[in-house]
Order: sequence, then C-alpha cells, then structure tokens
Amino acid sequence: MPSLIELQNYTWRYLHTDEPALKEVNLTIEEGSFVGIIGPNGAGKTTLAYSINGLIPGQYRGIKKGTVHVAGREVEAYASGSLQRTVGMVFSDPEAQFTAMTVEDELVFGMENLGMTIAEIRERLEWVTELTGLRSLLEKPPYEISGGQKQRVALAAVLAMTPDVMILDEPTSMLDPLSRQQVFDVLGRLKQEQENTVIVIEHNLEHLVPLSDRMILLYEGQVLLEAETRAFFREMDLLLDKYILPPGVMHFFFELLHTGVYAGTLPLTIEEAAEKLAQLFKERAAALQEQRHE
Amino acid sequence: MRKTLLGYVPDESPIYSIHPFVNLLFMLVVSLFPMFIAPPEWNFSLILLLMLLMWFSRVNMRTLRIYIPVAVSMGSIILISYTLFGGTHPEYELLWQFGGIRIYWERIRDALVVYFRILPMIFTMVFFLSTSRERDVIVAMRSVRVPFVVTYVFAMALRAAGMVMEDFQIVRQAEQARGFDSKGKSLPYKIRKYVMYMIPLFALSLRRTEDFTNALVARGYAFTGKASRVKRADYILTHYHFGTMDAALTIIIAAAFITVLYARYGLGLFDLESSSFLTWLRELIVS
Repeated sequence: MPSLIELQNYTWRYLHTDEPALKEVNLTIEEGSFVGIIGPNGAGKTTLAYSINGLIPGQYRGIKKGTVHVAGREVEAYASGSLQRTVGMVFSDPEAQFTAMTVEDELVFGMENLGMTIAEIRERLEWVTELTGLRSLLEKPPYEISGGQKQRVALAAVLAMTPDVMILDEPTSMLDPLSRQQVFDVLGRLKQEQENTVIVIEHNLEHLVPLSDRMILLYEGQVLLEAETRAFFREMDLLLDKYILPPGVMHFFFELLHTGVYAGTLPLTIEEAAEKLAQLFKERAAALQEQRHE
Repeated sequence: MRKTLLGYVPDESPIYSIHPFVNLLFMLVVSLFPMFIAPPEWNFSLILLLMLLMWFSRVNMRTLRIYIPVAVSMGSIILISYTLFGGTHPEYELLWQFGGIRIYWERIRDALVVYFRILPMIFTMVFFLSTSRERDVIVAMRSVRVPFVVTYVFAMALRAAGMVMEDFQIVRQAEQARGFDSKGKSLPYKIRKYVMYMIPLFALSLRRTEDFTNALVARGYAFTGKASRVKRADYILTHYHFGTMDAALTIIIAAAFITVLYARYGLGLFDLESSSFLTWLRELIVS
C-alpha cells in the first residue's frame, strides 16, 4: 500500500518549553491502515496527531524541524482550512468540540464548510447517521445526550466530511465501558466497510488491539516501537517496562509463555484467546492420555 | 417541557408549525407597540393577549413565576425614582409632601405609564423565548439574511453561557471539596472571595476557547483564505417552509403595526389624556 503520511526527522518544541514534545520522529503510515498509537501521558501523542492534522503549526507556536507530509504534500503547503478536508480529527473531550445547537447541525456543519450542496449533505447525513446509529438523536442538542452518544456525534461529524485520514485522540477516555464499546463498534464497522486511514490514540488497549493493523509506542517524544500489531506485542518486556498494560487475555498468555506452558503467538482478541486455550487444553489432555497409555 | 439555553419551551406546540421568522417578526414588532401607546390599560390588555398566546402555545404558565421578582423590583425602582427622587416641579400637581420629598400626581402617572410600557416588551420577549428552540432563533435570523458569522457567534454565545455555568458548578464543587464554601456567608465575604471562583473559571474558559478553536479548524472552518469564502448550503433552512399561513400572519402583524401607528398619529388615539384608567386613578388619589 502507498504511504499516505510520512514524518521525517520531525521535531516539534512548543514555545516557552525546554524540551521538544516530539524528537526526531520518523514514521510512515500507509493508506487504508488502522493504526493504534499508545504511550504514557506527555509522550507526545496529541502533538503527533495535531502535527498530522495541521493544527500544529497552524494553531500553535513553536519550533519545527524535519517534515510532515500528508498525501505527498508538506502540511504547511496546504491552504488554510484545506488540510482538514483530508485529515479529520476527533478530540478526547466530546463536550468541547461541539460547534452547533443540534446533533443534525453538528453533523452538517463540517459538510457546509466544505461547500457541499444540499443534496450531497442529505445523502451523507443519511449514510453517517445509519453508520453511527444517531438517527433518533438528530433533533437533540448535543450537550443533552450521553457521553457515548456525544463521542459518536463527534465521530460522525468528522466522518460525514469523508476525510481520507481520521485521527481519534483518546476518543473514549471520558466514557463508560458501554459507551466505549459503542464507539469502537462504529470504528469496527468503519474498518470493514470503508477505506479510510484511521489513527487512534488510546490508553485502553482492550478495544484498540483487535482493530489495529499496526501499533506505535511513543515515549518521551520518540517512537520507541512501531510494528504490525502481533509483532508489536512480541516486545512485551519492553511494553511492560514502559508501563504499557496489554489487554488482559494477552497478558495472561504472556504469563503462560513465561512459565513454558504455552509456546504460540499471543492472541489479540478474547475469541482468539478462547480458541488457543481450548487448543491448549486439548493438547494437554492428549499428552496426559498418552502418558497414561505408556 | 424542554430546557433550552434560552429557557423552557413546550415539547409540542402549535406555534412550531409557524416559520421562526414570523415568531421573530412578532417579537420585534409587537415589542414596539407600547412605544406608541401611553394608556396603561391598553398595554395591560397587550400583556393579557400575550398570556393568552402563551397559553395557546402550551407554554407552562408556572414558569412565568420566575419573572415576578423582576417585574416587582423593576416596578419598585421606577416608582421610587419617579416619585421619591423625582425632583421639584412647581408646575405639577402636588399630592403629598414629607419634609423635602414632594410627591406629584404627574410623576406617579409617568411611572405607571413607563412601567406598563416596559412590561409588555418583556412579556413579548418571554413569549419569544418560551416558544423558540435554539435552532428556531438561528433559522429566524438566517432567514432575514443575517450573515452566517453573526448567527453563529450568537449561537455560540448562548452555548458558551451554558458552558460557563457548568464550569462554575465544577469549580464550586471542587472548592467545596477542598473546604472552601461561601454558602451562608455574608455578601461582603462572598464578593471578597469571589476571586476564588473567577480565576479557575477564567483559566477553564481559556482552555475551552483553545479546544473550540481546534474543533472549528478540524471541521474545516477557515477564518481566512479561499476556504473561508465557500458558499454555505444552509442545510437547516430546508427543514422550514414559509407557507401561506406564515405569509398571512406576517401581513397581520404588519397591518397591526400600521394600524397602531395610524391610530396614534392619524387619529390621535392612545395618548395620556385618553386613558380612562389614569382618570379614575387620579380621582381616587385626589379624593
């Protein structure tokens, strides 16, 4: 797949700070991939997202070194307001990102900014409300709905603009488990049905890992690890050393690996783990039976 | 009832079938009526008409109680400033004198006239806010070609007011949790310590502003350049249709306004001398 986003020796330091938020970052994100970015607070995840979306250097002052290319063009080469048509962004605080008085207006706002016609808006609105399950909420003010619904509205508002790249900056950090599941359900459908490049920054890996094609670990402004998801979690010792807690099932199998009970790859989902565990039990049972026969 | 940023509106109301422009026009035009009508009884009749319209629009009349303190305090301030602090007017009819304070009939009359002019204006605004959802207000403004930026700033100002109130509650609760609570304390203490709320609230507002700007940019809104000159589809206007009923109501409102103007300046009606209420009141006080 061709690369859509390319960062080369990229360093960004906010004005009036001593240390760069991102240091010498080299990164390539392929078109149509689903990328998970993880790392502790202050690692530079949001700065990275803003750098790809053009909010940096557009809205923030600082010192930049290196390059950030999106769709083959340096982010600064995009005219004001045009990069955001290629890279959509969903922020962590759903409340703070609403720009309209009803859910419908919120979904429509971005499309109007793109200069779409009423017929186009109507068509996309139909599609996006079906995808995100928001049809019944269109008339409601966005500040009156639940946290999960709010974040789905924010997601839908960006989706409606059909950007090539979607960045979600800790989209579930303020949500309860059910709402978190609902947001990731939408992302799951998006991955299955659309060809967008999706970048999700998350602390909670339970939902992120099964969807991600690639994972990136940011630590103190640097890319410490970047790999295909399964290969990424082979570096479990490094991840645990950096206090990155893998999903429960993965951690469990990692412990089994350590004790020598299990020797395969780490499962990414509960379903996969259940299969592997069943297989393990079967093998164990067969081995025990063999021992008895002998 | 549904809570909006402007107040409470009914869930269902016959007025929702009317185009928001008509509602806005009603508010703007009818609130001007008292300017041309001096007799308090006519303005009082307008208040009754507005209350009837509210009842017809299924506005919860109990919510009007929140305006009673405003009406009473406003009336008291007007009456006191016109009578006790009304000055010396030898040309006026003196009713009572308490030391240096002289109470004249004309000043009482003027206070009543002013009060009953302001009251229907407030009622018209209350009627508008009690029957208009936030979106209706925006649609009304856009349908009279108010620029998008102006309507947007208005909408966001409404929203910001709600957010500041929420933030204030958060700050207050956080400070209560840390042992600071001005509840039950004297007013001077509250004023002195108000800075304890204002500083975090100000800091929060700055952060909100940054978040909001980022959200606007992320939604493709451009403040400058080619993208800022994009022709907007104004999709929400497609939900509203200006029908025959709306046209008829617009004509009725305009006709009513012209009638009031004609009655006032053409026929000389609605002046102070024609007020039977004021004549009755004067006789009552003087006798």
